[in-house]
Amino acid sequence: MIKHHPTFELLQSFVNGDLPASLAAGIAIHADMCPKCQQQIAQLTEQVAQASFEEVFLDRFIVDESPSNDSIVSFDIDSMVEQITEHNDIAHVSSPKEKTIIFNDKQYQLPKALANMEFGSTSHIGKLSRTRIQLNEDEIRTSLLHIEPGGGVPAHTHKGFELTLLLAGTFHDEHGEYVEGDFIMLDKSHTHHPESPQGCLCYTIANDALHFTQGINRLLNPIGTFIY
Amino acid sequence: MQPYLRSNDANARSNNMLDKLDHAQLCQWLSAVAEQRDKQAFTHLFQFFAPKILRIAQGKFNHSNQANEVVQETMTNVWRKAHLFDQSKGAPTTWVYTVMRNVTFDMLRKVKGNKEDNLSDDIWPLAEMPSSEDASFDDHLESKQLRNVIETLPLEQQQVVKGFYFMEMSQEQLANHLNLPLGTIKSRLRLAIAKLKVKLGEHHD
Repeated sequence: MIKHHPTFELLQSFVNGDLPASLAAGIAIHADMCPKCQQQIAQLTEQVAQASFEEVFLDRFIVDESPSNDSIVSFDIDSMVEQITEHNDIAHVSSPKEKTIIFNDKQYQLPKALANMEFGSTSHIGKLSRTRIQLNEDEIRTSLLHIEPGGGVPAHTHKGFELTLLLAGTFHDEHGEYVEGDFIMLDKSHTHHPESPQGCLCYTIANDALHFTQGINRLLNPIGTFIY
Repeated sequence: MQPYLRSNDANARSNNMLDKLDHAQLCQWLSAVAEQRDKQAFTHLFQFFAPKILRIAQGKFNHSNQANEVVQETMTNVWRKAHLFDQSKGAPTTWVYTVMRNVTFDMLRKVKGNKEDNLSDDIWPLAEMPSSEDASFDDHLESKQLRNVIETLPLEQQQVVKGFYFMEMSQEQLANHLNLPLGTIKSRLRLAIAKLKVKLGEHHD
């Protein structure tokens, strides 16, 4: 059973499109495995869509108050419609590419959300292997982390934040046992020492310790100006 | 449920005058766009959504060009992807919101200099992935890509190409099947192949 979920604030920013791609993908992957969060996301999306498009009174108010305000509609509707409908092509949505990765001779099927992300090379330290995912998000670093059976990560705290999303296998630390789909967000108040007797594959995001103050503030205020 | 406002002869004016949001009307316009490529219905959708999208985009982008681009790109996707909307899965406004949010997300990544990788549709899919409706075609990537290109041909050329290549009918069989002279089949096939060459060539640059 998945026990660790994104906070409500993270789900809300996810729905608003305000999170960096790394975190947005993490939440999408979790939601694919977690019906509860998926349902909450559906509800939030409906609400924000309503707020965006169904505020009819506000809409009329603005139209009535400033009937000649050109900045509200600064394009020529007819010509834009003409331009768009000139081509009759329908967009075809092909099923996403199946993307797999091999660690230690074992092949893993990766989640859809990662299908078009660019992967860097893999580095190894003992029983750990790490593949960087190149999203170019400044101090935020995203990786796939593979732990071979019997491996672990030495005890550490997080100067910024660290998200661990368990994609396959299991691991445990001082706080308990984790299963596939668990969305584990830690910050500097946590010390932990993960160990994986059976091995596991995780999607991880961490921000650079050097940018700690700024980074953590941004994460705690996701509705603010996280990525702008 | 509140009664939907009737707007029978919906023209631009009555569109602006909708007092209550009419989901049924929006659904009908979306399906007219999807099924009949109905420009009039699209114009209604444009008039309803575009000003709202513009206002939201102006809050996210500093340059009015970029806000305009969000409108243009979102409405283009509505035109091209309306067939992905499934009203049993949610409200039309929710679907258009998803299209807009995805366009905005990809543009912001681009503007911020992250990457032009268009990840949004992988993170927030616009439709459940088609399952087995295209079972008659080989499923490997090459034919998928080819098929996407074929779908851009005029309908009568598509028929011939699909019959000839995917269902392996002969030109004579096609002529019988479509009730057309053999010469017409041959010339359509020739035209289609010339176009495919150009289009595939463009993709393989």
